[in-house]
Amino acid sequence: MTSLLFAQLGTPHRIQTPSVAWSGLLPVLVLLGGAVVLMVVGALLPRRSRHSWHLWLTLLIAAGSIGCAVPLWFRVRDHGPLSILRDAVRVDGLALFLGIVIVVGVMLAALLTDGYLRREELEGPEPYVLLMLSATGGLLMASANDLIVMFLGLEILSLAVYVLAGLHVRRLRSGEAAMKYFVLGGFSSAFFLYGIALAYGATGSTNLTDIQRFLATNTLTNNGLLLASFALLLVGFGFKVAAAPFHSWAPDVYEGSPSPVVSFMASAVKAAAFAGLIRVFVYAFALDRHDWQPIVYVVAVLTLLVGSVLAVVQTNVKRMLAYSSINHAGFVLVGVQAASDRGVRSALFYLATYTFMVAGSFGVVTIVGRRGDNRHQLDDYKGLARTEPLLAFAFLVFLLAQAGVPFTSGLWAKFYVIGAAVEARSFWLALVAMLSTVISAFLYLRIVLAMYGGADEADEAAPAVPRLRIPFAARIALVVSVVATIGFGLVPGPLTHASKTAVPKIAAGK
Amino acid sequence: MMLASTLGPTPYLVLGAVLFTVGAVGLLVRRNPLVMFMCIELMLNATNLTFVTFARQLDDVGGQVIVFFVLVVAAAEVVIGLGIIVGILRRRPGATADDLRLMKG
Amino acid sequence: MGQYLPVVAMLVLAVVFAILSFAASKLLAPRRPSAAKSSPYECGIVPSQEPPERFPVRFYLVAMIFIVFDIEIIFMYPYAVIYRDLGAFGLVEVLTFAIAVFASFVYLIANGALDWGPAKRLGRRDPQMSATRTTTSTVRRVGLEGRPAGDEEVAA
Repeated sequence: MTSLLFAQLGTPHRIQTPSVAWSGLLPVLVLLGGAVVLMVVGALLPRRSRHSWHLWLTLLIAAGSIGCAVPLWFRVRDHGPLSILRDAVRVDGLALFLGIVIVVGVMLAALLTDGYLRREELEGPEPYVLLMLSATGGLLMASANDLIVMFLGLEILSLAVYVLAGLHVRRLRSGEAAMKYFVLGGFSSAFFLYGIALAYGATGSTNLTDIQRFLATNTLTNNGLLLASFALLLVGFGFKVAAAPFHSWAPDVYEGSPSPVVSFMASAVKAAAFAGLIRVFVYAFALDRHDWQPIVYVVAVLTLLVGSVLAVVQTNVKRMLAYSSINHAGFVLVGVQAASDRGVRSALFYLATYTFMVAGSFGVVTIVGRRGDNRHQLDDYKGLARTEPLLAFAFLVFLLAQAGVPFTSGLWAKFYVIGAAVEARSFWLALVAMLSTVISAFLYLRIVLAMYGGADEADEAAPAVPRLRIPFAARIALVVSVVATIGFGLVPGPLTHASKTAVPKIAAGK
Repeated sequence: MMLASTLGPTPYLVLGAVLFTVGAVGLLVRRNPLVMFMCIELMLNATNLTFVTFARQLDDVGGQVIVFFVLVVAAAEVVIGLGIIVGILRRRPGATADDLRLMKG
Repeated sequence: MGQYLPVVAMLVLAVVFAILSFAASKLLAPRRPSAAKSSPYECGIVPSQEPPERFPVRFYLVAMIFIVFDIEIIFMYPYAVIYRDLGAFGLVEVLTFAIAVFASFVYLIANGALDWGPAKRLGRRDPQMSATRTTTSTVRRVGLEGRPAGDEEVAA
């Protein structure tokens, strides 16, 4: 029987099959395999258990994924990037750097999720499975060297997050957020895909290396198709990172989604989308940068202004943070717009530090939201400094870091980005970025004042509300985020060095 | 086949663009969630048509393989979308996109 | 082409007639709408809510599962055409794919998504329903008594 099988398999006229360097794909495979195992085992075992083994298994898998990525990092640093699956996937410094950022985003979100699920009586393995699957898509996106692989990564990433947004089944807002995110997300993915189709038509390939080579050796007589594809691809990416004309979903979805999921959306999803954006525009379309830089310039200006100005008029803290995350996306776009080594490096640094800041911020929001996840008004933060001084201090650190105050990682992130913009001679953009920092500082100060001031009213309200419960896992996430935010603020050297190592060479200008 | 070679790719590309626009406009105009899903499907399939046309024009099988992946993605999207709708309708029957206004914006 | 001329003429006439009729009734008819006239039914009680309809979630569930598993087959066809040429490499790839798909199948069965019949199993296993749900709390009675007010969610 077996010999027959092999006889059939071993017929001549073999197609030359690609040799797969599996080791290069290990971080993705560990995450994917872990998610599948957790899904099956979690479905066969009882859903509720006193030990949060879903969480610990997730952390273990994520740590395993990072553990596979670190040796690869050194290998790539010493021997150059790995090209896998006929150059459809490229494992280089950029992919590994942002890949680790994404997995860290998963770990922080998972730590926050555990307490949240128990509080809302939603126990089950699904959130963790979806977080890991989504991160798989993110890693794939970060290492994609083919537009179709990037599209698949984007879809894996997004589809899981749509479901995560609707995780809280008894909360109508959660379903509404999922619906909005899904419809607009599907809309933008369709634009992205159409952009790929046009790029394919214009250059004859979806492989980024081939596209780059084609554009370097040919001059298009009519580049309308290519310009249209730039615009469409930017719409797709702009939506995922919540950049200005395509940001309208973000406040609603952030407000309605479960808070731990929002921390994932604002950190890992953004990092993955920026990875794609940098790969496609800064690297593959490097020679046409004079065509796309003005568009990104305008988008960055709009994003910075919308994110900072509209944030100030909000009264819901989750919406405030949503607009502030739009503002931060604008900062990363400033780094992308520079289209230089320094710009990419600053964008990577920004994404890495922002992951800790935003995960921590939404961690605090998760805890203050209480059962039902509804207490997100500014008033709910009044007097937090007296009832929960440590929690208030953690939030203070994250808010000050987002404002770019010295001794926090936020300062360096903003400093590098603006430095890159100045180097690229985008002085006005740098000016707008600094202006938006000043405007959004108001917003952070409002929250800080609410926490540390407003004592007289809080005295009356205090006996009515029970003490906040801060789960152990969430404590870990908050402590890690605070340490990372202050640590990278005091000693930015290692991260700066890593982001410098991560940046691949950009093709020289025409 | 004859038609394809005599007409050239342009009509197919134009049809793809028109279908894509119909889908995009429909998504913005219609308020029934199911119709909105159908519009997303229309956009994806218009893209598929564009891919196939380019693949034929470039004589490259890659563009046709892409269509397979896009089809699967489209199916996955429909399932997720239906799941979200079912989740909402369980709580509140007869919802349209206009009813989803708990949050401003 | 000439032989189709009557048909074309007939089509054009029909369209023109339809347009003219609508336009004429718009222009000529007297319009004095009142609240009672523009309501869907002019007599009877005013409907206070949409009539409660049974919503068979199970059908949707099965339809959704069908779509996913149906479309996965799309990757099997190309493989089936050239599986000899692909050799062991293709076999490994397809098996990996199949394992991933069937893991989700195990998940579905374990969660009772494919159990047909009375909803008791699904009700017990489904995390989305709290254990306190009974027929008295889930079956909707006509009228507004005992229903949660407004749109706001009930944190169960």
